[in-house]
Amino acid sequence: MCVCVSSVLQVWLCCVSLWPCWLSHAVPLDCKDETGSLAHCTSISQEKLLDRVIQHAELIYRVSEESCTLFEEMFVPYPLHTLRNQGGNMCHTKPFPIPGSKSEIQQISDKWLLHSVLMLVQSWMEPLMYLQTTLNRYDDAPDALLNKTKWVSDKLLSLEQGVVVLIRKMLDEGILTSSSIFEHALNPYDEQSPEMLESVLRDYNLLICFKKDAHKMETFLKLLKCRQSNKLSCLSY
Amino acid sequence: MAEAMAYSLSLSLLYLGLLCGNGLVSARGSELFTPDPSRGPHFTGCRSREQETFRCWWSTGTFQNLTEPGALRVFYQTKNALEWRECPDYTRTVENECYFNKTFTHIWTSYCIQLRSVPQNITYDDTCFTVENIVHPDPPIGLNWTLLNVSRSGLHFDVLVRWAPPPSADVQMGWMSLVYQVQYRVKNASHWEMLDLESGTQQSLYGLHTDKECEVRVRCKMLAFDNFGEFSDSIFVHVAQIPSKESTFPTTLVLIFGVIGVVILLVLLIFSQQQRLMVIFLPPIPAPKIKGIDPELLKNGKLDQLNSLLSSQDMYKPDFYHEDPWVEFIQLDLDDPAEKNESSDTQHLLGLSRSGSSHVLNFKSDDDSGRASCYDPELPNPEDLASLLPAHSGRGENHPLVSSSSPSIPDLGIQQTSEVEETPIQTQPAVHSWGNMDFYAQVSDFTPAGGVVLSPGQLNSSPEKKKEEENEKKIQLQLLSDGAYTSENTARQLDVPPSPGPEQGYHAFPTQAVEGNLWNGEYLVSAGDSQTPYLLPEAPPAPTLPPVSDYTVVQEVDAQHSLLLNPPSSQPALCPHTPNKHLPAMPTMPMGYLTPDLLGNLNP
Repeated sequence: MCVCVSSVLQVWLCCVSLWPCWLSHAVPLDCKDETGSLAHCTSISQEKLLDRVIQHAELIYRVSEESCTLFEEMFVPYPLHTLRNQGGNMCHTKPFPIPGSKSEIQQISDKWLLHSVLMLVQSWMEPLMYLQTTLNRYDDAPDALLNKTKWVSDKLLSLEQGVVVLIRKMLDEGILTSSSIFEHALNPYDEQSPEMLESVLRDYNLLICFKKDAHKMETFLKLLKCRQSNKLSCLSY
Repeated sequence: MAEAMAYSLSLSLLYLGLLCGNGLVSARGSELFTPDPSRGPHFTGCRSREQETFRCWWSTGTFQNLTEPGALRVFYQTKNALEWRECPDYTRTVENECYFNKTFTHIWTSYCIQLRSVPQNITYDDTCFTVENIVHPDPPIGLNWTLLNVSRSGLHFDVLVRWAPPPSADVQMGWMSLVYQVQYRVKNASHWEMLDLESGTQQSLYGLHTDKECEVRVRCKMLAFDNFGEFSDSIFVHVAQIPSKESTFPTTLVLIFGVIGVVILLVLLIFSQQQRLMVIFLPPIPAPKIKGIDPELLKNGKLDQLNSLLSSQDMYKPDFYHEDPWVEFIQLDLDDPAEKNESSDTQHLLGLSRSGSSHVLNFKSDDDSGRASCYDPELPNPEDLASLLPAHSGRGENHPLVSSSSPSIPDLGIQQTSEVEETPIQTQPAVHSWGNMDFYAQVSDFTPAGGVVLSPGQLNSSPEKKKEEENEKKIQLQLLSDGAYTSENTARQLDVPPSPGPEQGYHAFPTQAVEGNLWNGEYLVSAGDSQTPYLLPEAPPAPTLPPVSDYTVVQEVDAQHSLLLNPPSSQPALCPHTPNKHLPAMPTMPMGYLTPDLLGNLNP
C-alpha cells in the first residue's frame, strides 16, 4: 500500500516536475515581447498567417537550393553531380510516408497536410544543427554557405511556430510538440567519418534531402492555401 | 553502429558505380539529344512538362535488328517500391517512347529506368532521376505589350509586356512555382537581350528605339531548378516615331530671334543715350574753378576785371569775418537810414554836395565788405565818434573824422549842436576838407557797447592834397562800388596819415601773421600786444615822430614769410616793420591786390 502510494506519488511528482520541461519544448503559443513576459498579441487573420507561413517555406526552399549548389561547386567532384539528380537516396525515413503523386497529395486532408509539414519541419532541426557543425570543420567552406545554413535553421524554428498556430486555428487542436520523436533517427550523423570524401558525400546528400523536404513543405502549404481560397480548382480532377 | 556501417558502405558503392558508368541522364536533368548511332540502344532523354507526367525516349542505335517493336523494353524502379516494373504505357503514335501518366508519376522520389532486351536479358542502358529534375515547363501564353510612355525627344519608348503561365502548369495550386525570362532584340539582330528572372507575369522594357521593330519572347522554368522550357512565340513591338521636330523648331527660332532683338535694342539704347550714359557711368571730374569766374578769364583776362570779380566774391568775405566775430560787432548805426539813399556815398566821402544829409558816411557796418583791414572806411557818426573818444580831449587834437566832418557836413555839425557832442566838431575850422581827411582811421579801442574807438591819425594839412583827393574820386568810386574794398595803393594816394605811434599803429602786416590772410582782422591788432582784439590803449600823441604811413604796398614776400613792402613815396617810415628778408619775388601788382594764386605762393 505504501509502495503504491509512494510510486503514485513519485509519478505524480515526476509529471509535475517535468511539466515545465514539456512546456519548454512546446512551441510558444502566445506572443512574448523582449522581456519574455507574456503579452497580448495583435491578432492576425488566418489567411495572412498562412501567407506568411508560405513565404517562409518558399524562402527556406530557395536557400536550401542555393546551399546545395554552393556545396556542390565547392566540395563535390564533378562526376558525382549526378547524385543530385537522383534526389538523395539516403534521406532519413519518416514516421509516415508522404505520397509523391499529385493525385494522391490532392486527396490528403488539411489536417494531414499540416501535420505532415510540422513533422517535416521538426525532423530537420537536429540535422541542420549537425550540418552547421560539420560545415565548420571544412577548411575552406565559404561564408555564404555557413550563413545560409544558419539562417535556414533559424527560419525553420519560425516556420514551426507558424505551423503550430495554424494547426491550432484551423484544426482547433492544441499541440505540445516535442522533437524527441526523431532523435533516434539522427544516430548515423553522430559519428564522424575521418574520410574526407565520405563526409563530403554525406553532407551533400543531407543538403539534397533537405532541399527535397523543403519543396514538400512548400507544396503542401500552397495546396492548403489553394484550398482555403478556392476549393473547386484545387480538388483532384 | 551497424546502420552506420551500412550507410558508409552504400555510399562507397554508389560512388564506385557512378564512377564506372556514366548515366545517360545528365546531372542537370534530361535533355533530348540526338541519338548516338555508334552506340547500342540507349535512352535519349526523359521529360516532364507539368510535373505530373513524364516521357522517356530511347534509340536503338547501331543495333538495327532490334527495331521491331517489343524487342526493347523499359523497366523502371522507384525508391518507394524496389521492384522493377515495366513501362506503363508505350506510346503508340510515337516510336520508342514510354509515357508515365499521373498515376505512375511520383515526385520527391527517384526513378531508375532500364532499357532491356528481354529475350537476351541484356540491359543496354539505365539511368536514374527525379521527376522535378526533368521538368521542362511549357512556354507561357498570351504574350502582349502595352505602351508605357514615349520620351520627350520621341526617340525612345517604354513598353510593358504581359503573359500568362502555361495552362499545363498548375501554379494556382502551387504544384509548380514558375519563374520567367524575357528576351528581346531588334529585329534581325543576332544578339538577344536577356532580362532577369521574373516571378510575376509581366515585365517592363525600357529604352526601346522608335521606328525600330523589336522582337520579344519569354520562357519559364521551375523555381530552384535549372531546366528552361521552350520559348513562346515572339511578338513584335513597334512604335512609329512622332514627328515632333516642328514643335521644338519654332521654340528655338523664337528664342534665337528674341535674343537678337534684345541685343539690338540694347545697342540702340546705348547709342541714343550715349551722352547721358556717359555722364552716369563716367561722371566728369570737376575741374577746379571759382564760382562765377570763368577759368579762361583767370588765364587770359585783365586783372582789373579779375579784381572786380574777385572783390565781388563772397567767398573771401566770410573768411574775413568768420574768423573774427568781433568784427561783426562794429556797429556804425546812422541816424537816418532813409537819407542814405538820397545821395551817393561818393558825395558823402568827398563832402561836396552835402545837403540835408546828416550822414557822414553811409557805410553800414553790417555790410562787411572787406572792411577788416587797415582801412576803416566806415566813418561812424560824429556823435558816436565823439562818444568814442572819451579820453581825447578832442579839442586840441585833430580828429580826423571829426575835423573833416565839420566843413563838409555843416548840417551835421548843425545837427550836433543840439547834442551834447563836443564842439570840437564845430570848433574845428573847416580847414580840412574832406579830401584832406583821412579816409581811414585807426581803430584803437572798442567800447563795451561795441563801438569802435578810433585813434587820431596824423594829418597832412597840405591843401594841395585836394587834387589828389579828386584824383582819388575815381578810386573812391571804385572803393564804394566794391564796398570799400580798398587797396594799399589807394591808401597811399589818399595820403595816409601817419600813425600816432609805431607801436600803436596798425601793423598792417604783423610779422607773425603774414602767412594768414592779409585782409583779415589781424590788421586791427597791434603787434605789440596779443592777437586778441581788445581795446588798445590810446597812444599819446607823438608829434616828434615823423609821420608814418600805416599802409603800404606789399612788394615781395620774403622767404621767411615776411612781406616786403613798398614804402610810400611821402612817408619814409614803413607801416610794416617787416625786415627785409628774402622773399620769393612776387610779380608786380598794379593794384596791390594779391590774387588767390599769388596768395598761395605766400604759403610755404
